[in-house]
Amino acid sequence: MSDSFDIVLNGERHRARTGETVLRVAQRAGVHIPTLCNDDRLDAAGCCRACLVEIDGQRRLQPSCAWKAAPGQVVHTESPKVRRHRELLVSLYMADHKLGPDGLPLHTTQGNELRAWAEATPHKKLTQVHAPRAARGPDANPYVAYDPALCILCAKCTRYCDEIEAVNAIALSGRGSETTIATAGTRGLLDTTCELCGGCIDVCPTGAMHAKQAPRFLAKAVFEKVRTTCNYCGVGCQIDLNVHQGKVVQVTAPPPGETVNDGNLCVKGRFAYEFIHHQDRLTTPLVRRADGQLHPATWQEALDTAAKGLLRVKDKHGPDALGFVSSSRCTNEENYLVQKLARAAFGTNNVHQCAAT
Amino acid sequence: MDFRGAQRERILALLAERGGATEGNVRAISAETGVAEADIWGAGHFYGLLRQDGPKTLVCDGLTCMALGAEDRKAALLAAGHDCAPSSCLGLCDVAPAAIGPDLAPLAADDRPCHLSPNDPELPINLSGPRSAAYAAFARAKDLGPDAVIAEVAASGLQGRGGAGFAAHIKWTGVRGQADPVRYVVCNADEGEPGTFKDREVIRQQPEKLVEGLAIAAWAVGARDIYIYLRAEFERERRILVDAIAKATAGPLGGYVFHMVRGHGAYICGEETALLESMEGKRGMPRLKPPFPTERGFRGKPTLIHNVETLACVPDIILRGGERFRALGRKEAGAKLYCISGHVARPGIYELPLGVTLDELVAAAGGYVGTPLVFSPGGASSGFLPMSERGRPLDFGSLAAVGSMLGSAGAVVLNDTADLAQAVVWQLHFFEHESCGQCAPCRIGTRWIHGAMRHYLHSGDPAALGDVADVAWEMAEGSICGLGQIAALPLTSAVQHFPERFGPRPAAQE
Repeated sequence: MSDSFDIVLNGERHRARTGETVLRVAQRAGVHIPTLCNDDRLDAAGCCRACLVEIDGQRRLQPSCAWKAAPGQVVHTESPKVRRHRELLVSLYMADHKLGPDGLPLHTTQGNELRAWAEATPHKKLTQVHAPRAARGPDANPYVAYDPALCILCAKCTRYCDEIEAVNAIALSGRGSETTIATAGTRGLLDTTCELCGGCIDVCPTGAMHAKQAPRFLAKAVFEKVRTTCNYCGVGCQIDLNVHQGKVVQVTAPPPGETVNDGNLCVKGRFAYEFIHHQDRLTTPLVRRADGQLHPATWQEALDTAAKGLLRVKDKHGPDALGFVSSSRCTNEENYLVQKLARAAFGTNNVHQCAAT
Repeated sequence: MDFRGAQRERILALLAERGGATEGNVRAISAETGVAEADIWGAGHFYGLLRQDGPKTLVCDGLTCMALGAEDRKAALLAAGHDCAPSSCLGLCDVAPAAIGPDLAPLAADDRPCHLSPNDPELPINLSGPRSAAYAAFARAKDLGPDAVIAEVAASGLQGRGGAGFAAHIKWTGVRGQADPVRYVVCNADEGEPGTFKDREVIRQQPEKLVEGLAIAAWAVGARDIYIYLRAEFERERRILVDAIAKATAGPLGGYVFHMVRGHGAYICGEETALLESMEGKRGMPRLKPPFPTERGFRGKPTLIHNVETLACVPDIILRGGERFRALGRKEAGAKLYCISGHVARPGIYELPLGVTLDELVAAAGGYVGTPLVFSPGGASSGFLPMSERGRPLDFGSLAAVGSMLGSAGAVVLNDTADLAQAVVWQLHFFEHESCGQCAPCRIGTRWIHGAMRHYLHSGDPAALGDVADVAWEMAEGSICGLGQIAALPLTSAVQHFPERFGPRPAAQE
């Protein structure tokens, strides 16, 4: 088999590479296929059934997220059968989902892909099934919560916890309509292997996994995302600050594939942002003046004061009387500059980084 | 993702040994096996026998048992001091309404022999015939060579007897042709389709035929390790099989390693890829196909999976020839073990030409009891058919032509004392309870359709069934595996054939 070949998508020829799924080819070709359980970082599960397409020669609809493209394959993503399937599937999902006053899946701060799909798809109003999907008991962890009423069992959270983080704190449990996302012994996350990275929140398409400290049902239109660099360590993870009315209400990871952290964050980057708006936070340099008190100052004044103080010590006691310790929150580049400052400007090798011990 | 050296395949057996998926057991087994606690918990809580709090008396709620008084039986057992829990079909339909004790053995009252076809040496399996441990067919297979053995299986026209009716030799050829030198043979003995108890009887009466069929299959496809996945409730059958295997491997089948794997109370594990997942210590959720097990099965290796009855036919095919086996059937090949239960005189297992009619089958079973109203030809998955189909050949093709299926040939007859709508609810309850929950059309659909039918019975208002056709369509088209694809059939087939029984009815009394 050659490295690349053509398949026919809705009557048009498109290039596919060996090993690619039909979904991937369609995405590149700009052909929209709905998905809920797909994440390119995870093994295809094919369980949400949203991406089923018709493939000539196949009796049954097939999941495009798992189905490998083959030379000459003829795929239909908008046939009457596929459309009917989507309409009924979204109707079934809605019968198993918490709906808002408008009769659509509840909007959450993280969005709700099921809602977006329902808005774009004709559907039936089916009687609610009231699935006996259990929540976890009391969970003292401060960050991650699970709302079974919004869960569609796409298992992205459990697969992420397993396949990406290798933490395996949560897993599918129960069977049939009782299936839920559980921990061993339904314990709180603090009593599991969970590292509270919150990746389960980012991958959740409906907001069932959500951040405890963030507002839950904020309309997407009212906050903006500000891309910045996490300053908790030197890795340089990119984070999106979700800003509402001038305040950061949640931190999310940029979509996978866009940045060096590939959609992942750790507990600090994702959850430890409350300092931003804390009343004790210093927002201007302070200099201790002759009265012994700290006074707000300009950066110029503060830096001059620090430089003079350091040079005074060096002149009086020699450069090795100085020691430089940089913060674990400095980036790699900042750490480089600190050692440069110590060695070149002050002439001492007394330089360390607090995360190095 | 398992950490290096983790022993996931052991976890379910360890949970069973220690009394279920309790928090303490999960913690200890995680420490022993290196498998994450949440994974053990999640896998354990998939299985009915692992998640229940301690062993109980299990009262069958399959169609036959419910129709023949399971509720009264349960009340009597409770009154007698039994700690009872409901169970999906226990494979004891011949003694319905059935129950098994906490030791997984039938209660004394249910412990009676099954009605069988009389001894007839012409029959391939011949349940009533004498047992033989000569393993002559295996010796002949070795003389023939693998290709000739597979050719003989092809000539026999043997179709898988587990339900799908797929031509057996295609699987054999598929596994034999794989490049990977490690292959496995797996016997699906997770019999659980309501109305089906034939595999149980094969193991009870002719275990050597199964063992020999497995060895022939292993030899033909180049496998050394043979796995038998047996449902846990067949504890007595397990002992019979273990004994037969011990004798066989001490003698002519010494080159093979047989492994017994216990089920843990999940009907879906009869689906071949769910069975493989279960063997690997996971939740029994069917895999996406392709790849098929012949290519990537147990542990990702080429795997030949067959039902008990399919394998038990093999020795006869090798000894007396494929053509002879084929000629035993009518439109389709071979003789077939038919289970018959419900309102018939002698419920049991009858080995008859594939393609007999219901009337012929029931004649073998001593005739109908009362006036027959409806029958289910091949287990819950085959839906319901009216008695006007009593003359239709019970084979794969003829039943598929009317939207039903032969399935596992677990035929159940209900007479006019039965409430068909109630019978439908029992079947729908079964599918909701046994859905694995992996895919939305089945997980939500089985619950929705069961709820709609219960609402109809409760209210008497047919409007409750208004959206059934749409939901059933989506379940059939959207589900991953056969369970979801047919789970609405008990209702849709009953409505199709008996529309007058699904009109307005008196609301149920509170």
